[in-house]
Amino acid sequence: MDKVSKIETYTTGPASVQTDPARLDPIDALIATLGLSAEDAAEPTAVVGIDKLESVALRLRQAGFMLLDVVGIDYSAYVQPRPERLSVLYNVYHPYDHRRLFLRVWLAMGTALPSLYGVWKSANYLEREVYDLLGVVFTDHPDLRKILTPDDLEGHPLLKDFPIDETPTLFRDGRFLDPAAFRAGMTGQATGLSGWRGSLRRGEGKGDIEPPVMPAGGPK
Amino acid sequence: MSLKERQPKSKQPESIQQESSLPERVGSLTANSGALMHTEIMSLNVGPQHPSTHGVLRLVVDMDGEFVIKVTPHMGYLHTGFEKTFEHRTYQQGVTYAPRTDYLHSFGHELAWVLGVEKLMQADVPERATTVRVILHELGRISSHLVFLGTALMDLGAITLFFYCFREKEAVQDLFEEVCGYRMNQGYFRVGGLSRDIPDDWAGHVQTFCDTFDKHVDEYASMFATNPIFLDRATGVGVITAEAAIDLGLTGPNLRASGVPLDHRKATPYCDYDSYEFNVPTSQKGDSHARFLLRLEELRESAKIIRQALKRLKPGPVKDPNRKISLPPRPELESSMEAVIHHFKLVTEGFHPPLGEVYVPVETARGEVGYYIISDGGSMPYRVKIRAPSFVNLQALEYACVGGQFADLITVLATIDPVLGDVDR
Amino acid sequence: MPLKELFERDWQELESEGILFSSLEKLVAWGRSNSLWPATFGLACCAIEMMSATDGRNDLARFGSEVFRASPRQADVMIVAGRLSKKMAPIMRRVYDQMPDPKWVISMGACASSGGMFNNYAIVQNVDSVVPVDIFVPGCPPRPEALIYAVMQLQKKVRGEAFDQLGNQLPMVDAWTR
Repeated sequence: MDKVSKIETYTTGPASVQTDPARLDPIDALIATLGLSAEDAAEPTAVVGIDKLESVALRLRQAGFMLLDVVGIDYSAYVQPRPERLSVLYNVYHPYDHRRLFLRVWLAMGTALPSLYGVWKSANYLEREVYDLLGVVFTDHPDLRKILTPDDLEGHPLLKDFPIDETPTLFRDGRFLDPAAFRAGMTGQATGLSGWRGSLRRGEGKGDIEPPVMPAGGPK
Repeated sequence: MSLKERQPKSKQPESIQQESSLPERVGSLTANSGALMHTEIMSLNVGPQHPSTHGVLRLVVDMDGEFVIKVTPHMGYLHTGFEKTFEHRTYQQGVTYAPRTDYLHSFGHELAWVLGVEKLMQADVPERATTVRVILHELGRISSHLVFLGTALMDLGAITLFFYCFREKEAVQDLFEEVCGYRMNQGYFRVGGLSRDIPDDWAGHVQTFCDTFDKHVDEYASMFATNPIFLDRATGVGVITAEAAIDLGLTGPNLRASGVPLDHRKATPYCDYDSYEFNVPTSQKGDSHARFLLRLEELRESAKIIRQALKRLKPGPVKDPNRKISLPPRPELESSMEAVIHHFKLVTEGFHPPLGEVYVPVETARGEVGYYIISDGGSMPYRVKIRAPSFVNLQALEYACVGGQFADLITVLATIDPVLGDVDR
Repeated sequence: MPLKELFERDWQELESEGILFSSLEKLVAWGRSNSLWPATFGLACCAIEMMSATDGRNDLARFGSEVFRASPRQADVMIVAGRLSKKMAPIMRRVYDQMPDPKWVISMGACASSGGMFNNYAIVQNVDSVVPVDIFVPGCPPRPEALIYAVMQLQKKVRGEAFDQLGNQLPMVDAWTR
């Protein structure tokens, strides 16, 4: 199998791939170099303003980072207050020295973001996905169309006010079961079939359940 | 016509839009014949129901004669709403959803989900569970690459290898069935360990499989690696350079075939992968031929990892003893009221992770899979974002096909190896 | 044997010599049932098990159904293998309409039969609301053996040997006239 043996292999761990020691500053230093503020989170996250996004992305691109993912999040139903309703996270990664950074942009509904297609080609589908599922508009995107949902679907499915649209389970004897009501007891956010809600189950308390407290040293 | 003449150079998609920058061969074709006959660009629809699209991908291909000048993929024909559904299921129920995104390497997605939630819960996974996870993760990679080899070569017209690859795939699926009762979409991992311990003689069966597997890989290679038709159709077809691969966000075998040695089993080790000895095959060529052979090499490496993992398989617990995460064992329910309460809470409601956002990358057969999980303290995730490698890798199609012939498009699509469940989610 | 003897001799005597009698309808149905050509309609996970059903171990060819046709115009039975999204549903109906009569549909897997575990905005909850289904196969995904059993049940139905739950014989031409 001489053809097969033409595949070269690399046997060492990532440590030997390191090239320029100046580029290997830890992720906090990288965030500081970029002039950003680190977020207190389990994953290395830096908050970027919309106006600085493109320049920061360009600097990361020049440092050899690749864009792996764009995450759109709707924080409207989150338990803690957040600066804006929507947030877009850019998951950037360095393929040679294995640093990962999440760039977070806060934006209100209806605010447009600059497209990073000019920086990374991989932003093409990823931004289209965020546009499709959350309705964030990216200016200067070459081809901003729906990508996953059918053309006749109105709305953006991953917004919190978009219903999951479940079909009730119909039994032969005519009974039917509403999945949301069936599940409501688990969420603690609505009275379910049982009529119980959160801590009211045990007959104590009247208000919403407090979210559990973070143990020391754990993810934030 | 020699191979070199037949392959025009690949071009960036956006440069195609100007008439002047068409591939040279196309240009000469139109220049010579333009005065005599009228030529025009033809759009060709492929899919969504087409045997070579590996599912329900739809491609609109603009062609000038035999040459592809633009490819526009249309996805979403398998859009399942995974991310929305995750928000309405408990964390433990999510284990059954994760494998159904990438159904060929289902253990990869399952592992990514479970590791993410474990990071959130700070669960303590026993060593035996981790080792079994490694074995299953690698068996899943073998199964996935076997399906790749079989179907991709079937797309090139070599149908025989399909039956050989599926022979071993059946053997792998038998191992899956033995350990968790399902041939595909297993749902065997749990947050904090495994759903149950492996059967007694299972390790022996895996050992038997691994012992003979290297011979089978040689057998596959002997059936296609030197075949002149295969070499003609794969060598130099769909070249993706390392810079382009990084620009397009490729991960997994597609990136490594372009010469970037990124493998998360080495780069950000999970499941103690740093303690295993294995090679990461890379190639500098970046063409379809390299992508074929690279996956063939990965089959051997996976078998190597499994053999090491089997040696360190020692008896022990397979679940986190924390009763807030994993179900108490059945006998305990008959003697302990506390166990009954824990059982009831876990089954009806699930556990409540603390507030936080986590992401754990896992190297599957297609590339980096990660679940960005946001917890709001409830029993269900607030938001889950699946980093789907097939979705991002598919962008390379637009880049790598341009300038080639239509048959090369099929080769490139097959070697990029997208799984449409992973693309559309 | 002269043709005249076929009309003059006793039919039982002829059958003992290897000459069988049947109605044309039965003969056609028998022929059809043993060469059901499926259209490849692999959607998701079940498609992999559908492929497994044709491999060396399971060998769907034993039942005359191994010829998967990419063009619906050459197919008799559509195996809907996997979850059907709302975006795909019109396309599936179109593929079904392109198949020549008589045609049958096997709904493979929980997702195609009932939406399975995906009860949300994106997935059609029952393929039967898009095309008429003859056989439902449970499982997530069903084993290849289950698919082979479904094909065998369909063969019975095509031959008019199928019975419903109450023991009534299902009409043979039920599927033909749609």
